[in-house]
Parts: sequence; structure tokens; C-alpha cells
Amino acid sequence: MLATEKRFVDKLKTYLLFAGPTTFVFATVIILPFLFGIYLTFTNWDGISKVYTFVSFSNYQQVIQDPAFWTSFLRTVKYVFYTVVLVNSLGFTLAYVLTGDKVLGQNLLRTGFFVPNLIGGIILGLVWRFIFSNVLVYLGRNLNIGFLSYSWLANPNKALWTLVIVSVWQYSGYMMIIFIAGLSNIPRELIEAATIDGATGFQRLRTIVLPLMVPAFIVTIFLTIQRGFMVYDVNLALTNGGPFKTTQLISMFVYEKAFLAQQYGVGQAQAFFLFVLVAAISLTQVYFTKKLEVEV
Amino acid sequence: MSRIKSGLSVLVIALVLSLFSAAALAQDVHITILNSKGEIQAQLEEIAAYYSSITDGVTAEVVAVPVGQSPFERAMALYASGNAPALLMVDAGDVLLFQDRALALNDEKWVADAIENSLDMATAADGRILAFPVTVEGYGFIYNKAVVEKALGGSFDPKTINSRDALRELLDTIEASGTASLVIGPEDWSLGAHFFALAYATQSPDFAEIKKFQEGLKKGEIKLADNAQVNGLLDTFDLMKEYNYDRMDPLASTYDRGTELIGIGEVGVWFQGNWTWPQIKDFDNTGGQFGFLPVPISNDPADYGNTQVPVGVTKYFIMDAEQNSPEQQQAAKDFLNWLVYDPEGQKRMVIDASIIPAFKNINITPEDPLAASLLEYVRDGKTLNFVLNLPPDHWAEVGASMQKYLADFVDRAGLLAEVEAYWKGL
Repeated sequence: MLATEKRFVDKLKTYLLFAGPTTFVFATVIILPFLFGIYLTFTNWDGISKVYTFVSFSNYQQVIQDPAFWTSFLRTVKYVFYTVVLVNSLGFTLAYVLTGDKVLGQNLLRTGFFVPNLIGGIILGLVWRFIFSNVLVYLGRNLNIGFLSYSWLANPNKALWTLVIVSVWQYSGYMMIIFIAGLSNIPRELIEAATIDGATGFQRLRTIVLPLMVPAFIVTIFLTIQRGFMVYDVNLALTNGGPFKTTQLISMFVYEKAFLAQQYGVGQAQAFFLFVLVAAISLTQVYFTKKLEVEV
Repeated sequence: MSRIKSGLSVLVIALVLSLFSAAALAQDVHITILNSKGEIQAQLEEIAAYYSSITDGVTAEVVAVPVGQSPFERAMALYASGNAPALLMVDAGDVLLFQDRALALNDEKWVADAIENSLDMATAADGRILAFPVTVEGYGFIYNKAVVEKALGGSFDPKTINSRDALRELLDTIEASGTASLVIGPEDWSLGAHFFALAYATQSPDFAEIKKFQEGLKKGEIKLADNAQVNGLLDTFDLMKEYNYDRMDPLASTYDRGTELIGIGEVGVWFQGNWTWPQIKDFDNTGGQFGFLPVPISNDPADYGNTQVPVGVTKYFIMDAEQNSPEQQQAAKDFLNWLVYDPEGQKRMVIDASIIPAFKNINITPEDPLAASLLEYVRDGKTLNFVLNLPPDHWAEVGASMQKYLADFVDRAGLLAEVEAYWKGL
């Protein structure tokens, strides 16, 4: 009895020593605001006033009934789908090529592909905005390339693709690093054995490399889904939701409801909804991809 | 070990000393001013630095609302962090949201000198005056006089543009001289908060009538398609679309490009407000020959709105009553009085920062030609209400609908249906 108690105190001490500060920070900047945010979803607070009244579930009701919220959410799902597919396939391709034997300047290329990830989203958005609205249009008009002669940012059918393109450019390098780490963990002897048995490059990729890369894919797909749903900075700097809100992704939508329309309660309710949806999607993804994992 | 110990003790002593020096500094009064007019950030910083240099123990610091944030949201964040500035520059429509947090300024001397109606948006229902009117602004068609006079081959009288046909004739003349006549800035705030707001402003010179019109929209009683002013305004917009320099790609233009096009005289006319002057000035090579034209909404020069431009107080300073000490509040009050009554303060506000003051006692005329042009309209009594009591997301929502109309993604019936739906959904 005494021994277990002592062990518990010891454990607590160790825990507090190593994880105490982190727990404290996590609680104050994540848990408390999160709970307070949920509390605010039941009020009609405008963001600044000192008085507000409780409105029970009417904010949630408003979110469910707001077609604009769901339009924006579906648009975000579309954006996430394309970025996840493109970022991961491009990232994996880059990693696979750059871990091969025949590429010159591997390290330089790895660094080069990774660099976009080091640039902040706002700067990145502004740089690409200039490219899309000035450089490409200039080239298109001077070289008579029809689809480039008009700014993609001003075209509601293409503006979402500019976001996808920039996100792919931004994240492929990062995912590439994760894939490179995964690829270098694949035992050489498996590959060699397969080669001796006469497996072609594609067969080795399909039956050995890809199954063993599932853990890396779990991480990268999770990261890209989560970042895709949360994207705000690039959205703001590149398109600012325009033209006429056709590229307004869900974070920006929530943000404008809370801060611009000054309906903080409704905005919080939307944010909570978003949290539940994104958590559900990510956890499902992790659950199902985990099943694909294989033991060597 | 001993080296570490002595190092540590030095550190401790340094920390203790720094505490003392912080205490010594606390005697000075430090006030922070939140600026939400990005185009005058540099000028305001200079004003604050100068004010700090001439006062004993008061330091003023200007912080800007970051690009992409609204002043309201910034103020909200600063309040939530317990760091509210002494003075917060907020949009006219947001002033009353701060009524629990703002200091009543009824006893200030400048209240009596403020121009007519300039405190309407700043007065709470209980009579407390909650804000200081920072600047009068107005908008309309900005014209580049050099371009227009070259096209006309003689001098230009802006008063001749008092109907849609007169505007069309002017645009034709400019086009015939080989210069592009007009460019439409596709910004949602410009189209929603300024251009479409003319539809409300031209309803009546009486602000109560405008409010009644808005109430009617909220209740869904008003059909915009049957309204002469709304249709007239959109007819003018159709005319603008026809002559638009960017008609091939109407949504691609940017605000910065607009300032350049009008500044260097590549186009003759641009729909914008006097706040564009600091940027236009950078491109201007005609020595400041610019002015405003009204946006005509019909072909009858006598119709209300055809010879008037909207003018109003767009920005107010709120003084924080909660998180600043009485000394800081006093320092902030002194600063405002210095701006209004000290000749140097007046000069720096009006000349350096190109602000049209909202005070009768200030006789300095801004050197800025757009401000001078607006003042002329004010003196002639040719003004419309600058409708500033619109719901906070009106500019974004109606602006988006106007962008669709501008790029022909929706026809007039569709546009008006969207605007009506927006008002009903409030």
C-alpha cells in the first residue's frame, strides 16, 4: 500500500518535472480557451460588449441551416482532396527519385524542394499573387497562350486551383522529407532479394516499398488533411476569398463570421462544428490507413 | 563552480537593477494609439514622435492594425489581452459597440467645435459622447484634370457633369483623345461600402429616411427593382462597365494599380475616395491636378445625387476607460486637444497627414487636391450622406454581389435579389 503510494508520488514528481511546464502551457493556451470557446457558443456575444445573453442552441441551429457554411465546407473538402492527393503523390515521387542511385546533386535538390516550406504563408501568397496576376498574364498575352492571358485569380473557376497549386508547391517538399526518412528505413536486403528474384522496378515499388511506407503515409496524409482544413494565411494573401467569395475556405468563413459580422457566438459554434468534423475525418483516416500497415 | 556562481550573482544583480529602472520609468506616461488608417501610418508615427518630444514625460506610440484585419477585431484582441491602447481609431459604424469600454468625452472643449452632425455616430443613446471624430472623407469619380483638359482642348468645369449623358459625353471625349477614360476598382469594400451605398444615400437628404429605407429592406418590404435611384445607379454602373479600362478582365485589377493608372494619367476617371491621395501623389506628374465628380444616377440634373458627393466622418478615436490609468487618459485627452487647438498639431494633422478635420476652428486647407475638392462640395452644400450605419459585413457581402455583377456572372435581377436576401437575413 505504502509502496504503491510512494510510487505514485514519485511518478507524479517525475511527470511534473518533465511534462509539468508543457502541461501547464497546453492547458492555458489550448484547453481553457477551447472550453471557454464552447461556452461562448451558447451566447450572443459580439466580441467586445460586456453583456451578452444565453441563447442555448440557436447558434448551432443557425450553423446547420446556413447554406453558405456548407458551401464553404464542401469547397474546403474539394480543396483538401486535391491537395492531399497531389502533395502526397508529388512528395513521394520526389522522395523516390531523390533516394535513387542515379541522381546528381541529391542534397541540393532536396534542399531546393524543401525551401518553399520555410517561407511564411502570407509572403508566399503575395509572391504567388504577383506571379498569377502579373507574370503569367504577361507571358500569356505576349506569347498568345489563351488560358494564361487572363488572371486566374479573377476567374471563379480557376481561383481555387491557384490555392491548390500553391499549397502543393509549399508542402510537397516537407512531405518529401518524411518520405525520404521512411524510404531510408526500408531494409536494403529486401530490395536486393527481390531484385535477385527478378522483380522489376515497378514490382519492387508496388509490393515492397509502398507497403512498407504505410506508416509514412499515415503521417503525411494526416498532416496534409489537417493543414488543408486549417489553411488561412495563403487563402488570405493569395485570393482573399475572391473573386466574390468563391475561394473562401472554411477557416476564413468562420473568421469572417466571428470578427467581421461580429457574431462571435455563431462563429465559435461554426469553429466547434469544424473541429468535430475535422477530428472525425482525420481519425477515420488514421484508423483505416493503420490497417494497411504490414510487419516485416 | 565559483565562476558559475559569480556569473549568476551578476545576473541577479542585473535583474534587480532592471526592476528599479522599470520603476523609475513608470513615472512617465506612455500612451498607445491604435491606427486603422494604414495610408497615414508614417505620418502619425511622426506626429507621435514630435508630440513626445515637446511634452514632458509623455510618450506616444502608434501601432497599426495589421493588413487584413479589421480595426474592430484588432481592438477586440487588444482588449482581450488586457492591453487596450489609450486611443483606438475605429470605423464609424463600430463606435457604439464599445459603449461599455469607452470614456465619455462630453466635457472636452472640442465637442463644441466639432462640425455639424459629426458626433451623431459617436453619441450613445444615453447622451454620452464616446468618440473623437478623426477625419472627414468622401468619394466619387476622381478625375485627372490634365487628361480631361487635354481631351476637351480647354478648361474643364466639373459642375457640367450633372447627368449620366454628360458623363458619357465626357468619357467619349477622353476616349477620342486616345486615353482610356475610366477604370473600375474591383475591391469588394469599394463596390459594397461606397458604390452601392450611393443607392441608400440618394434616397433622401434626410438620414432618418435612409434609415427607414434600410428598415424596409430588413423587413423585406422594399423591392429594389422598383426603385428609381437603385436602377439609375446601376445604369451608371453599366455605363462604367462599358468604358472600363479592364473590361477584358474586370476582377483582376488592384487598388494599387488604380492609384497608378489615375496618377500617371493612363486613365482619366476612377471611382474612389480622397484617402487615395497619399498613393496617387507618388505617381502624379501634373502638380496635383485632381478633383471629384459626382456619380450621376439619372439624366435630370435636378435629381438628388447628380450634383452631390457623399461626405462624412469615417473614423473616430475611442478613449479606453478600463485598462488605461487616469494619467494615461489625461495624456490622451491632452493629445487630442493639441491636435485640434495647437497650430503645430493642426498643421501636422491637416497638411502632413492629409486629414480633412471635423472641426470648425481649424482654418488650414489641406494641400491635397482631393480634400480641397471635397471641401468645395461641402462649402457649396452639395453633399450626400456617407452612409456609415451599414451592418458590419455589408461591404463584404454586397461587395461580392457587385463583383459578380461587374464580371457578368449575375444579371441585375440576380444582383438585386442577392442584396435583398442579405438584408432580410440580418
